[in-house]
Amino acid sequence: MTTTAAPPATDLAAQVQDLSFTYAMPGGEQRPALDGLTLDVPSGAVFGLLGPNGSGKSTLLSLLVGLRQPSAGEVRVLGQPPSAAIRARIGLLFQETSLDPLMTLRETLWLHGRLYGLAGHTLRTTIAQTLGSVGLADRADSLVSTLSGGMKRRLELARVLLPSPQLILLDEPTTGLDPDAEAALWARLHEANQTGATIILATNNVHEADKHCRQVAFIHRGRLAAQGTPAELKAGLKRDAVWVEWPDLPPTLTDEIAAWEGVGKLTWAHPTLHVTVDAASAFVPRLFQIAGDAIRAIRIRESTLEDAYFDIVGASLSDQGVDG
Amino acid sequence: MSALAACGALLQRDVRAVLRSRSQLYSTILLPLMLLAILGTGVSQGLDPTLVRDGDYATFLVPGMIAMAVLFSSTFSSASYYRDRDSGLMRVMLASPHSPRVILLGKALAGVSIGGLQALAVLAVAAAIPAIDLEWQHGVIPGIALAAIGIALLALLLNGFAQVVASRIRTMQGFHLVMNLVLFPLLFFSGAFFPLEDLPAWLKVLATANPLSYGVDLLRIAVYDNGSGYFGLTLDFAVLTALAFALFAWGLRRHPGYHW
Repeated sequence: MTTTAAPPATDLAAQVQDLSFTYAMPGGEQRPALDGLTLDVPSGAVFGLLGPNGSGKSTLLSLLVGLRQPSAGEVRVLGQPPSAAIRARIGLLFQETSLDPLMTLRETLWLHGRLYGLAGHTLRTTIAQTLGSVGLADRADSLVSTLSGGMKRRLELARVLLPSPQLILLDEPTTGLDPDAEAALWARLHEANQTGATIILATNNVHEADKHCRQVAFIHRGRLAAQGTPAELKAGLKRDAVWVEWPDLPPTLTDEIAAWEGVGKLTWAHPTLHVTVDAASAFVPRLFQIAGDAIRAIRIRESTLEDAYFDIVGASLSDQGVDG
Repeated sequence: MSALAACGALLQRDVRAVLRSRSQLYSTILLPLMLLAILGTGVSQGLDPTLVRDGDYATFLVPGMIAMAVLFSSTFSSASYYRDRDSGLMRVMLASPHSPRVILLGKALAGVSIGGLQALAVLAVAAAIPAIDLEWQHGVIPGIALAAIGIALLALLLNGFAQVVASRIRTMQGFHLVMNLVLFPLLFFSGAFFPLEDLPAWLKVLATANPLSYGVDLLRIAVYDNGSGYFGLTLDFAVLTALAFALFAWGLRRHPGYHW
């Protein structure tokens, strides 16, 4: 596991210590979402929380803004415990669309601005500027229901940015967006980051985390599995990643394969054998020679953070967990 | 971050939503007026109208129709809670720098204001109809003031009740079902449609236990000419005020629930 040295507490935008949260389900069942998570997010970072659905990322965001209370552990945001007052300095972009379709864009931002203490000329000017910054100035008086999906996301981003938050929390912000819309959204987010805002991104999109985050934390079953820069987390991976579905792989063969020339990290988590190699074109034919028709499926691509995640955690990012 | 400003913003937003939703706006005001015209004329001319003052059933109906306007409006306003929850806007409001209580208070005050204004609109239209002869036994201005207070108390009471129901019913369909099931019977034996004086004893007991009866009675004292009403102004005020504030406070106690 790769980790970077923790910065001083005063430079932390968010700090969680031994944080646990359990959902009380109907029928009395208890479902843990976070299980002793400890994490530091430096101020000014673009910080990724990477984990499969149900690994606890969204739950962590809700605890950071104080909308839920932890079962155990401690949370500090911008140097203070979460509270209604601290939420004035936090912007939150939800995974699901959260807009009233019967309000106009201007009314949507006006309501948000009023809830965050803005008023009068300042609010009107800020609304105009913010709508312009996300390319929606000409739609200010349109109803939200008339916007495309990408425009709605941009409006939600405008709403997040309106009160100039010091900490921006993003929950799967680009789900459903086309590449252009995703690029535009991130361009605006990087502008906010350059003016001092810390960004915490909860995602299971490895490419988004790899491309935009300076620090990434792997979250697995409510715990921190690893934390570091994308480069640090990918250290030791070879160029190509090979995912092999091989349910009956004899355990002795994994040692043999690991010793082959050009083979890097090898992880076996039934029924998947995951290997990173210098050249898949040389490795795969050799693998078929010893496996024959025991291999059910094979997938080859360039190594990414997903391979690092599988190597460290022993589970895929597409595995489902308990809850948000 | 001013809670008052937040409540004001939420109120303004909900008023704007109602003004934009023409069907809600018109149906809340038009249905009581239609009943006033159709039921009032029909009973005045077709049934035995001698039990009400001067046989003028249409005028007799006015207080009940005002109460009905408040009732409809309260139901619609509280249903906006479900609309905000389903659109996701509620979670955005809850993630703002205000406690859930402030958010609920803002929405509840919007419901009270909208209901009050719609009920006053019904009163204004009724007063302008030549065939309706409001007596204003205490004078026009004091009568309007008395009616406005009665409407405000009714709006508080009914919005509080609607909030309490909304806190326990998960779906909007269920909410409407419960509201209709409870409130329509209450309206029927509140004195809105027939005088309480000549009812059988068992119905009088039900009417006495019915909070809406006190609202209708107070409104009738304000706009009509029937002396001190059925219960009397003091009892009307006491019961309405106590129940209105108790239910409104009870409604605000619920947590709107956080859905990520």
